[in-house]
Amino acid sequence: MKKILALVMVSLIAVTSFFASGANESKSDDGTITLTGYMQIDPANPAYAGHNAVVEAFEEAYPNIKLDIEYATGEAFHQKFQAMAASRKIPDIFTCYGGARTAYIQDPGLVLDLSDTDYLTDEFKSQFKPVTFKAQGENGELWMIPPTLAVCHVVFANRAILDELGLDYPKTFEEMIAQVPTIRAAGYYPISMGNKDQWVVNSWLLSLLVDRTGGPQWFMDAAKGENGAKFTDPAFVKTLEIIQTMCEEDLFSPGVNQMGNGEADQEFYQGKSVYLIDAGWRSGGMDSQLPTEFTENIEMHVFPAIEGEVRSNTSTAVTGEGFGIASAIKDTEKADAAWKFISFYTGEEGSKIFAQYGDIPTCNIDFSEIEMGIMQKKYAQFQEEHEMGYVFDSVMNGEGVSLLNANIQAMMMGNGDPSEIAAQYEAWVAQNDTNRE
Amino acid sequence: MITDRNKKLSYLSLLLPAFIIYIAIIIFPVVVSFGLSFTKWRHFQLKGFVGIENYINIIKDPIFQIAVKNNVKIMLISVLGQIPLGVILAYLLFRKWVRGSQFFEMMIFLPITISSIVVALLWNRVFSPVGIYTSFVRTITDNPDYVVKIFENEKHAIVPVLFVLLWQHTSLYMIIFLANLQRIPKSVFEAATIDGASEWTIIRKIVLPALTAVIYTCSVLAISGSLKSFDLVFAMTGGGPVHYTYVMALYLYQQTFTFNNYGYGSAVSIIIVVLSVGLITFCQRIFAKISNKYN
Repeated sequence: MKKILALVMVSLIAVTSFFASGANESKSDDGTITLTGYMQIDPANPAYAGHNAVVEAFEEAYPNIKLDIEYATGEAFHQKFQAMAASRKIPDIFTCYGGARTAYIQDPGLVLDLSDTDYLTDEFKSQFKPVTFKAQGENGELWMIPPTLAVCHVVFANRAILDELGLDYPKTFEEMIAQVPTIRAAGYYPISMGNKDQWVVNSWLLSLLVDRTGGPQWFMDAAKGENGAKFTDPAFVKTLEIIQTMCEEDLFSPGVNQMGNGEADQEFYQGKSVYLIDAGWRSGGMDSQLPTEFTENIEMHVFPAIEGEVRSNTSTAVTGEGFGIASAIKDTEKADAAWKFISFYTGEEGSKIFAQYGDIPTCNIDFSEIEMGIMQKKYAQFQEEHEMGYVFDSVMNGEGVSLLNANIQAMMMGNGDPSEIAAQYEAWVAQNDTNRE
Repeated sequence: MITDRNKKLSYLSLLLPAFIIYIAIIIFPVVVSFGLSFTKWRHFQLKGFVGIENYINIIKDPIFQIAVKNNVKIMLISVLGQIPLGVILAYLLFRKWVRGSQFFEMMIFLPITISSIVVALLWNRVFSPVGIYTSFVRTITDNPDYVVKIFENEKHAIVPVLFVLLWQHTSLYMIIFLANLQRIPKSVFEAATIDGASEWTIIRKIVLPALTAVIYTCSVLAISGSLKSFDLVFAMTGGGPVHYTYVMALYLYQQTFTFNNYGYGSAVSIIIVVLSVGLITFCQRIFAKISNKYN
């Protein structure tokens, strides 16, 4: 009996060892390297057609590198990735954020710091917009290279309605308010914006206002609690007051806090409103959903000038997510293969493909060579014309931002005071936000 | 001959698999959650033992207080709304006081067969600022600024959710009650009618005593279901506007999976378990008294 048991145990160990070694094998006999991947992408969604085309082009260009990618989206992606992080078993390449969203893999040191490798040569970096290599970690780490830039503030304007009403895009916030009676009298709504999900006003308006009233340096100081900057400073209170004024002056269409983001877009697309405050990437959807005669009449602006602003004509952008490399494969052939994939995906080859599918890449490419939609051309031009500030919720911790967003929503519905909201937020940040640690 | 030892072994072998599964999927997570509820976590990393701090913070948190109030309202609408309405509808259909009772049975049962997410989207499509109802009212009243204001009301924003819950779940209880009413012999009703009993007397003396056990079961289902309400609220309002429609399960979800506060989230889950067990025990005592009265 004991002999049989011993035999079974030895066989089991032998079998598991065989499979275990097979799983760790990085290179097959024919020299093919298999890279495992976990990406926050839905390849069946037409919005990711560009990703599919780039992956296909990479596999053609590098037949000796095989990609074994698992896809997931939304919260499901993060939940599974958190479990992988907990077990310290993460794939070779994966979706990774520059901010705190994927801190659960960055904090335990599971992601390779690209700035600490030989991959990032000056020649490679020179291909990209400077914002691409803005430090992502507290100590200047660079976890990923964002393939595209996410512009988070655009005021889309319907030129046809403006002409019909004899108006032009306002130069100042006061001018914008002064347009309200004319717009309302003609049966239109001034601004469509869907803040039902609470983060919309924060990401697409508050960030911009903070950039204008305080500037990026003040914002980073307030986030870190340095140089005496705090969220109770007049700069931040003023941003909240502007949002409150916009509600009081009926700038938003009715039910702004009941309307989903997509519903606000539809309101603008149906020609019911003059302006739409949204993210820049909405332009891609406009090209595919709206008739040419409509998109030709859509202009892309930034919020008009605010009295006392420290920066003017700016928008906000975040470098979004890119692909990180597992630190466990550092200095191996796998890491080199992973870098080949990332440099192809974000570099000129991948970027040209992305541009064909409506994305504006971080890599500098010649757009004249690429056939682009009307709005996409406007979006590319918009990025050239406007300096970008920080997106508030990509810097500050989510829990505090959630509290702030709820308070802003209450204020927009008439139940809140800007100074009190600022004080509450500052108290939370001072006590909990990791930026202050 | 079967010995006592063999008997015990056979009982054990039959009981053990179910017992192990129960321990693994019910008791073990509850015990682990209880342990975690005294800790602080960040990004899947244990930061330390914090004693009962999580519980104190939860109870002090105004968002959690709103969530508890909303759960109580959901529980009340379930126990005092869905169940009585279910009994009434089942009795109407059972006594065939409406023509086409089979059609109504099917129509009333329909909402429970639809996913809560679909129901939420459907209601949102109708009542949102660009929804059918809102557009219709704007047209007939010539008021382009009309919106359904109750959705923004601090105290009453939960009412539309309660209404949808009532509409959706009453049918389940109606079917349960109808099935139990059909088990009462028709001769009992005939005898009561011949004896000159009024309809109210039949309900009080025959129907309600016969349904006591099932009303208790439905109440337990309603209470436990109310305390873990999540899907409909999540899809319909997401807890908003502000935190006006928050419920405990949504609070738990956000703390645990959005903010990664695993210790804090575990403490919320323990509070939900304690409340559920407490309320069900309370309910059990009330029905024990009612049963004794009928006996």
